[in-house]
Amino acid sequence: MTLALADKPGQLLRALEPIAKNGGNIISIIHERDKPVEGYVPVSLVVDFPSRQNFRNAINELKNLGIAVIKSEEVVEKVRLTFILIGITDLKKIIESRIEGVEIIGLEILTPSLNKVSIKLDVETHAEAVNILVDHLRRLAEDQNALLIAPIYA
Amino acid sequence: MRLLIVGFGFIGRELVKALRDKMSFLRSIDRDFKVVGIVDSKGYLYNGKGIDIDDLNKITRLSEHRDYKLGGTALDLLGQNLCDIMVEATPTNIKDGEPGLTHIRLALSRGIHVITPNKGPLVLAFRELMNLAERNECALLYEGAVAGAIPVFSLVRECLQGDKIVRLSGILNGTTNYILSRMFFEEISFEIALKEAQEKGIAERDPSYDIDGIDAACKLVILANALMGREARLNDVRIVGIRGITQEAISLAKRANYAIKLIGTIDRGLEVAPKLVPINHPICVHGTLNAIHIETDLAREITLVGYGAGKETISAILNDLITVLRKRGMSKFSSPKIV
Repeated sequence: MTLALADKPGQLLRALEPIAKNGGNIISIIHERDKPVEGYVPVSLVVDFPSRQNFRNAINELKNLGIAVIKSEEVVEKVRLTFILIGITDLKKIIESRIEGVEIIGLEILTPSLNKVSIKLDVETHAEAVNILVDHLRRLAEDQNALLIAPIYA
Repeated sequence: MRLLIVGFGFIGRELVKALRDKMSFLRSIDRDFKVVGIVDSKGYLYNGKGIDIDDLNKITRLSEHRDYKLGGTALDLLGQNLCDIMVEATPTNIKDGEPGLTHIRLALSRGIHVITPNKGPLVLAFRELMNLAERNECALLYEGAVAGAIPVFSLVRECLQGDKIVRLSGILNGTTNYILSRMFFEEISFEIALKEAQEKGIAERDPSYDIDGIDAACKLVILANALMGREARLNDVRIVGIRGITQEAISLAKRANYAIKLIGTIDRGLEVAPKLVPINHPICVHGTLNAIHIETDLAREITLVGYGAGKETISAILNDLITVLRKRGMSKFSSPKIV
């Protein structure tokens, strides 16, 4: 996010308070004193928040304090996961399943003549959608009497 | 202190051998330490002054010994407080825990310390037995019951006293780890790997207890109840075994740098299931090795790796025995409080 701070002592401290209060972990601060705009100094911060809600709360509190938020961008941490499914009979159901924030980025299928079909599925999703995804795949596998092998700790 | 050994199968015999080898060390801790009784399925050997362990070298069956009493049971000896410590090593039975459960209940209610690798009673009645031990101010130690020689309970009890365990996971069954490892390294089918394991004595003729994940689930229940303050039962564990794993699945995983392992996890719930484990994860061990991965609030992550079954279990039983011998001066033997 980029904030416009009045060029007076104590402004940065004031701005950091709502960020810290909402669990924000400062990754970097760039205080651009040599680029003042109408008496305001742009300060660019990269902050790690525990959740989207925490980020939004911090932004709201900053606005309530009268601190101008010039720019804010959410970069949601994406997670890549690999799953293996054994014995899937209806591949379409997997490919066509749509869960918000989940993208299938890789699919590998082995169809041995004498054995069940084994599928490796690579997905990209955000941390908050992992549980939903695992439940979905688990139900899908159960419906087809297939075995889902999820990554440890997913 | 006087030791009674109940159960003279593989563990009982190996224990006697170890006691013979380590007797002078044990006597240096407790001058009066002696084995006063050994019980098998048909009777017992008892000598209040101490059984000559070296004598046992010469016989193949307990019944050949002159002090053997046919038809006697452990209950006779326990009921008369003829021992101070009992090692309960009868075969594990997860249906009703017997005969181990009755032995342990009787021993604890009479203030006799109990050391046991027997999972059945612990899976079925953990809290009841711990309360019984606490009320009667005696020890119930079970290091050998989960992951044989890996001292997980002792570690948490002595070395993680201020930590709260937030998640625990592990490879808790050597048989299934052996099978999956062979499939991984030799690229053979599940059926061939299982046959190989059976030929080597690593899997039973009826391997279902291991390959269907029941054994791992039993151990998970004990870990959850003992280390994380849960009140779990075997029914609470979501269990998926390794029967459905194909060579193709293992190959697909391997190409992506994962191994498929049967993992027990205690998180919000309890689960035993095959999982994709990154090859470089500390828990990713092979062959018959077991591994336990403990995540705590302070120490962060600790991984223990070792052998889970067989002779190595004696290490755990002996350690529990020495713990009891060392603490015999203490009037109260209390169980550790969970953080």
